[in-house]
Amino acid sequence: MNLDAALIVSTTLMNRQLTHLAPIDMLILILYFIVVIFIGFYVKGSTNTSEEFFLAGREMTAWVAGLSFVSANLGSLELMGWAGAAYQYGMLAMHWYWIGAIPAMLFLGVVMMPFYYISKTHSVPGYLELRFGEGSRGLSAISFGFMTILMSGVNMYSMALVMKVVLGWNISFSIWVGAVTVAVYVMLGGLRSAIINEVLQFVLIWAGAALIPILGLVEAGGWGNLKAQIAQNVGSSDYTHLWTTLGHFRDNPMGVHWTGIVFGLGFVISFGYWTTDFLVVQRVLSANNLRAAKMAPIIGAAFKMAVPFIVIVPGLLALAVLKNPDGSVLHLVGENAVNAQHPYSYNEVLPLMLIRYCGPGLLGLGITALVAGFMSGMAGNVSAFSTVWTYDIYGAFINKKASDKHYVSMGRWSTVVGMLISIGTAYLVANAASIMDYVQALFSFFIAPLFGTVVLGMLWKGATRAGGFWGLLAGTVSSIGMWLYTTFGGAAALSRIALSVDARPMAENLYRALWSWIVCVVVTVVVSYFTEVTPVAKLSGLVYGATTLPDDGAASLWQKPIFWAIVVIVIFFILNIVFF
Amino acid sequence: MAEGTGRGEKLSIWFFVGGLTLLYGLVLLPYGAWVWFAHREAPTVLNQLHPTFWWGLLMTLFGGFYTVRFRPRAGDVNKT
Repeated sequence: MNLDAALIVSTTLMNRQLTHLAPIDMLILILYFIVVIFIGFYVKGSTNTSEEFFLAGREMTAWVAGLSFVSANLGSLELMGWAGAAYQYGMLAMHWYWIGAIPAMLFLGVVMMPFYYISKTHSVPGYLELRFGEGSRGLSAISFGFMTILMSGVNMYSMALVMKVVLGWNISFSIWVGAVTVAVYVMLGGLRSAIINEVLQFVLIWAGAALIPILGLVEAGGWGNLKAQIAQNVGSSDYTHLWTTLGHFRDNPMGVHWTGIVFGLGFVISFGYWTTDFLVVQRVLSANNLRAAKMAPIIGAAFKMAVPFIVIVPGLLALAVLKNPDGSVLHLVGENAVNAQHPYSYNEVLPLMLIRYCGPGLLGLGITALVAGFMSGMAGNVSAFSTVWTYDIYGAFINKKASDKHYVSMGRWSTVVGMLISIGTAYLVANAASIMDYVQALFSFFIAPLFGTVVLGMLWKGATRAGGFWGLLAGTVSSIGMWLYTTFGGAAALSRIALSVDARPMAENLYRALWSWIVCVVVTVVVSYFTEVTPVAKLSGLVYGATTLPDDGAASLWQKPIFWAIVVIVIFFILNIVFF
Repeated sequence: MAEGTGRGEKLSIWFFVGGLTLLYGLVLLPYGAWVWFAHREAPTVLNQLHPTFWWGLLMTLFGGFYTVRFRPRAGDVNKT
């Protein structure tokens, strides 16, 4: 018997919640909480030094670091958001998983990781301090710490909101249960605890979500039939192509151009996020040797390529299989357009598909996967925050000569304080939802310029301390300026930033990142030519051309990171051609 | 080796992965069998395929393999 859409609609309108958990679902969820808390207590004994607490003792294998690396980015907010985007924009959303991630992850592994790793830095701001001095470190650390803790709060509120919409749970209950659990296991086990939970979460997300595309494709009658049904329902075949509609802004539902996707997303945003965002880089720094550190992002890239199966495919399936009681197509709408006729928003695609196929037991598994995703998102943010706070703010500017034990203690306490600030942010967002958009916009201000600064620092000996600092500052200020311009300047401002009158808001982010990166690079180069060059001897271990890279110990072709990077990039190209 | 949990520990990360999925499999498999044979399947789409049973079986096998493969053994203490 099929789950009738009318049942869902009426249930939602009466109770304002999509479903409820059966006792078996509760059992699955409770088992998860018991295991994560147990892990925190179990690894506490191995987190006594700062290296153990903040970098998991640098003893993770390539597989653990790689899975944790990709999992740190695989939060539930992202899963639900991109499933909704796939419903809204079709396969174009896939670009954020493929061209918007894979080349950058491979570049991190093959080119950048040796410098992060052999410099023995504890963090990305730490690398900036070694390469460009305290000014760049301070600017980067303060902006990162501030944004990270706000993002943790956004994640927390999002989890509470999803639990309220899907299960009818009280917002405060979800916030406090999630926050206390995460605070306990991160405070006890530091990054080690966070990484173990991220690996668990990765498995749980696949266990909880993979049934949706599998059963969905069975229901749709295979990929070919799915494409035909989508074309029929939306009146266009544009939703199932990656590149053919990107020739002009007006030819695709996203309102973007291929230059924005390739250069803005594929180059600047993606490289900025995957190679300089400490939240993800910290996972790779925990690797137990140089080869593991190089392999981890490559392993992560291979798994990242598969993620659209559980995120994008459910969104596409919803376009084909979700129906109203009268058999007509069920249309999901934007959050602001939800009403009695259109009770569901794009962001509810994943929960809707989950309850379509999953009864008691499997539903609990799916909800546990979402909860795990939210909690590991919070843990990732708060563990990165406590590292940057302790090493790059407290240890660098406030108390430089404390004992190692003192810094571990500071790491534990900053975890608790960070979590309390996150809770405050969550309540702030709960009372003014638009703050969430601002927080996410704030995060985007720093990523593109930071990539400009780091990549010039690693690849160009001529980049000076002053060049690095002023380039980073100018890039960040230009990004904020462009955001203000497009936010308050309307369509005319957007058309100037994105270079087309047909550009839609999605294009703004791509082009703003590109311009702010260019500003950062130009200012860094110009200032560097007019300021004192750092002696080459001081750049050893930090810059190409001034560093003799150590052998990573690969004895055979199968052990070489570059070989596996080539395998992954070849598969990446094949996938893009297949779904062109 | 007890991978990833720290010096002196016996339980590997993969043991936790296997253990939790095995637990879930052992919850889902009998429940899936019961709803199948007692004709108590939830009214979900494609419930005639008995997804709870088959998914529970898959998780039991996956979790069982990892739990056994990475079970703590004498001399396995992580010394790295």
